[in-house]
Amino acid sequence: MPLLDIRNLTIELDTPHGRVKALERVSLTLNPGEVHGLVGESGSGRTLLAKAILGIPGHNWTIQADRMMWDGQNLMDMSPSERRVLMGSEMAMIFQDPISSLDPAIAVGTQIIEAMPENKELPWWKRGSDKRKKAQQWLHKVGIKETQKIMSSYAWELSDGECQKVMIAIAVANQPRLLIADEPTNSMEVRTQAQIFRLLSKLNQLQNVSILLISHELETLSQWCDRLTVMYSGQVMESGVTSEVIANPYHPYTKALLDNIPDYSNPEHHKTMMQTLPGSAPALQHLPIGCRLGPRCPQAQKLCVNQPSLCHQKDRYFACHFPYHNEPCHEEPLTKS
Amino acid sequence: MARYLIRRLNLFLATSLVLFLVMFIVTSKFPVEHTFALTGLQSPTSQELAQIESDYQLDSSQLHQFFAYLQQRLSGNLGISATSQNPVIDELTAVLPASFELGIVAGLIALVLGLPLGVLASLSKHKITQHTIMAITLTGYSIPVFWLGLSLSLWFGVQLGWLPISGQINLLYDIRPVSGFLLIDTLLSDSQYATSAFIDALLHIILPAVTLAVLPFTVVVRITRAAMIAIMEQTYIKAAEARGLHTSIIVLRHALPNAFIPVLKNLGLMLGAFASYAMVVEVIFSWPGVGAWLVSGIYQRDYTVIQGGILAVALIIIFLSILIEVIHTAMNPLSRKELYAAN
Repeated sequence: MPLLDIRNLTIELDTPHGRVKALERVSLTLNPGEVHGLVGESGSGRTLLAKAILGIPGHNWTIQADRMMWDGQNLMDMSPSERRVLMGSEMAMIFQDPISSLDPAIAVGTQIIEAMPENKELPWWKRGSDKRKKAQQWLHKVGIKETQKIMSSYAWELSDGECQKVMIAIAVANQPRLLIADEPTNSMEVRTQAQIFRLLSKLNQLQNVSILLISHELETLSQWCDRLTVMYSGQVMESGVTSEVIANPYHPYTKALLDNIPDYSNPEHHKTMMQTLPGSAPALQHLPIGCRLGPRCPQAQKLCVNQPSLCHQKDRYFACHFPYHNEPCHEEPLTKS
Repeated sequence: MARYLIRRLNLFLATSLVLFLVMFIVTSKFPVEHTFALTGLQSPTSQELAQIESDYQLDSSQLHQFFAYLQQRLSGNLGISATSQNPVIDELTAVLPASFELGIVAGLIALVLGLPLGVLASLSKHKITQHTIMAITLTGYSIPVFWLGLSLSLWFGVQLGWLPISGQINLLYDIRPVSGFLLIDTLLSDSQYATSAFIDALLHIILPAVTLAVLPFTVVVRITRAAMIAIMEQTYIKAAEARGLHTSIIVLRHALPNAFIPVLKNLGLMLGAFASYAMVVEVIFSWPGVGAWLVSGIYQRDYTVIQGGILAVALIIIFLSILIEVIHTAMNPLSRKELYAAN
């Protein structure tokens, strides 16, 4: 049974320009113990999806879904307080901007200790020091050596990398089953990036934590993830095992992303134009109908004004009327959307 | 931090010096005999006159006169009151605690009621609750305090007869002043009527304190609400939610300390308005505080009392606003960050 199974999740935002579908019929399946990559440009709704899974919606969101199953329970039926319990123990999230994810008025150590699980077997007067010890252990595990110094500092006194490690320590301290990492290495130097990715994959291997890794870098994701889901402008384009998706992309958008990766192997290609799709990603208030890649897609035809439903073939999912290397699903209705 | 504290102390000293300079210049401009304005002696004997001239160095240059004036004032010689013939410093020490008592009680009412109400207003999802709280606070903010004081004493004091409307305590109780704060003194007193005296003092302080508390209360509610609404959308609140913390813990530990910072800053700005409101309230309720004392001194052209009152009130306001700034810096680590960058 998949750990997380989302079918046709739609998130609508109330904006000054009216209600927009920021996420349209997104489906995602995440198996226990896997590292699942979620790739897409900024603005493609990856963070919205992550927050919707976790259950911290903004005040102007409307969330609809056919189903959102977490380990056999439907998340849509749960009350906010039940979801809050789930958040602390079973799911955790690392946010994009680590410094602003920590309270600026309180020392970092207090916040780490606050997030540590309570050992109910100890008498209550020993629990505080126990939490403190645990916090230091976790900081050690995520690669922070001077724990005392970090714990007595404020968030804005630390670097991005240190804050991100603190956030990871907080997130994994309760031993969650799912860790959502939203651009964990955004705006970080390469060495820290590598450290953090290694840390995440170690967590995945040793503690069997499933990770939903969100990034815009297909190269990095293909290196660390078992499965990939490609999103564009709030719609899922393609999903499948990483190696297969990379070797044999069905969707024109995935192919375009792969073509974007510069190829240094052939010296003659050095001075040719880089492959890109024409145009730019649509703004939220001017979304095209049907397949949102339509206006930029090299394969687009008249049929693309209907949103293609997600096809499931041999462990690959794709939403396209005219896929590469494959035939579209036949059971899909051709006219209705 | 020590450097910061020294700088604040420096600010206090410099501002006080300017205050004394202004007072010195104003004293020489009073439309009375200069010696009378300085000492309060209506018709000094020639011996006293010589003493005054040597004390205040009236023969020397203006600069020497200013230093002599400063020396006299700082050593506690504020002259004598022309109406009561008592030393002004004694009268001042007698009336100051009453004002502090009123101010502290009013401030506590404003904070203790205002902060939770502001938080509730920010967390409430119902438009009606939000608008009701906002409408009430706006009304409270715009009501003139003298009208409010008179109306409250008319309703609760005269028509309903629930609460006393003048003075600090019933004159029948004889309470020995220890701290000067009647609420404490009545409790410390070993008289057999101590408890009833305490209750009487409590009843006396309700109306003036409530009248004075209305303005800061409304400001506290509005600022707390605005700050809380802004803070609850911050990433670190979302991150705290994602950690599975309970909403009450998030509000108490993470949101409120951050929301209190702008509230504190505004309290510091409001201090001057609060002091002048306190004077109006003291006059309305015949509260034996520094405000009523100063106003009666102004009516009686008692120049030494006017000087003493202005000096005391201004010094207290300067000191308190600097104190609030220091507390603000101590409570708000982010402002310390700016401090390090500035130094």
